Amino acid sequence: MRRVITLGLLIIINFILQSTVFGFHNISSITPNLMLILTMSFGLMRGRKEGLLVGFFCGFLADCMFSTVLGPYMFVYMIIGYTNGFFHKNYIIEDVLLPLIVIIVDELVFNTIIYIIFFFLNNHLNFGDYLTDIILPETLSTTLLTIIVYKFYVFVNKRLKRKAEGKDII
Amino acid sequence: MKFDKRKDINPKYLLLTLTIICILFFIMSFVARDQVAAIKNFTNKLMAPLQQGINEIGLWTDSKIENLNTIEELNQENAELKEQIEAYQTDIAMYQNQLAELETLQELYALDELYPDYNKTAANVFAKDSSSWFSVFYIDKGTEDGMFVGANVMCGDGLAGIIVECYDEYSKVRAVIDDSSKISAKILPSNALCTVEGNLNQYQEGCLAVTNIDKDAKVNIGDKVVTSNISDRYHSGLTIGYVSDISYDSNNLTKTAYITLTVDFTNIETVLIITDEKFSIYN
Repeated sequence: MRRVITLGLLIIINFILQSTVFGFHNISSITPNLMLILTMSFGLMRGRKEGLLVGFFCGFLADCMFSTVLGPYMFVYMIIGYTNGFFHKNYIIEDVLLPLIVIIVDELVFNTIIYIIFFFLNNHLNFGDYLTDIILPETLSTTLLTIIVYKFYVFVNKRLKRKAEGKDII
Repeated sequence: MKFDKRKDINPKYLLLTLTIICILFFIMSFVARDQVAAIKNFTNKLMAPLQQGINEIGLWTDSKIENLNTIEELNQENAELKEQIEAYQTDIAMYQNQLAELETLQELYALDELYPDYNKTAANVFAKDSSSWFSVFYIDKGTEDGMFVGANVMCGDGLAGIIVECYDEYSKVRAVIDDSSKISAKILPSNALCTVEGNLNQYQEGCLAVTNIDKDAKVNIGDKVVTSNISDRYHSGLTIGYVSDISYDSNNLTKTAYITLTVDFTNIETVLIITDEKFSIYN
């Protein structure tokens, strides 16, 4: 239960930060994808099921606020959370390289899918321009932020785990 | 340990179930628009106040940091007069705030005189799209304040965008630089009709493309581009920008101009919304 509440709070906080503080009053700025970091972290630390659920709810919020139809973001975040869960067996607490590689791949995949859904099918075919102007800068900013934020999530996860284990013993 | 009730569910089946839910939502968005709008409205009603709160904290810290900077400078310049400065600090902060307010109001008033025909109301921007792909922002006025889908939004002395979704207490505005934005416009003084197309790539280079200008139309650098009277969504005569470059298209029938926008999208706080509905045969 504690875990569900913590995760719910984290999702909401990330969503709000992403839509307000980052890119503060700058309508066309590059925003690091905080919700993707959250999905990736918990997919990696806790496995497929939790990655899936976190991704689903992150996507739901994103869809409600930013998309004209419900569904696309939800699906993309969900799939990313699920696939990241496969790397759970390679997860070591001290490891920093694995999350970085995973988030870079995630960002590229995520943004390419968004490009295909909303731009390619809308007859904006110059992928190269979008790659250099949006996808790569966003990947860079998200990756840099991951280094800090991921450590925090590892800490949160450790605390939650300890609490839960303590309860089991009692 | 976690999700105890669902411990036995295989992730594969969970994925399948949630995928089906996603697809159902997707289909519902087209079939049952009203119900989906209700879901969105409910979720966003919970989120919007939080976003507005965070935004206010951001603005507050921003103003505090600015104040600190000015104070530091003053201290350096007037090391001997420190005590006196401290006494005046509160006054300075107050005057600064009043001055900023005065400037904003003056700006709004000047704009008001430029477009006297339309009724307008002001609103604050409180959030933007979370991804880097879309140029969409949110204002804190909705249907309860008389907003409607298709209302033109202005900022500074030019057109900023249009309301695309309207809820009880807030609205979603699509900026003119968004990729899906296309505006029917005309170039003054020659009155040549054209289309202003939003484009993220071009905006990052500092301009927007204006297409479909007749090859023979007289267009010069520095000409004003305004919304045209044949547009069925935008009121006519709203400034969009000024021509900065012209080139001929390869089809030899039309030419393309590049415009510099009058609205600075890097810093939008207050916007004006035209509350008159554009008369068109579609309404």
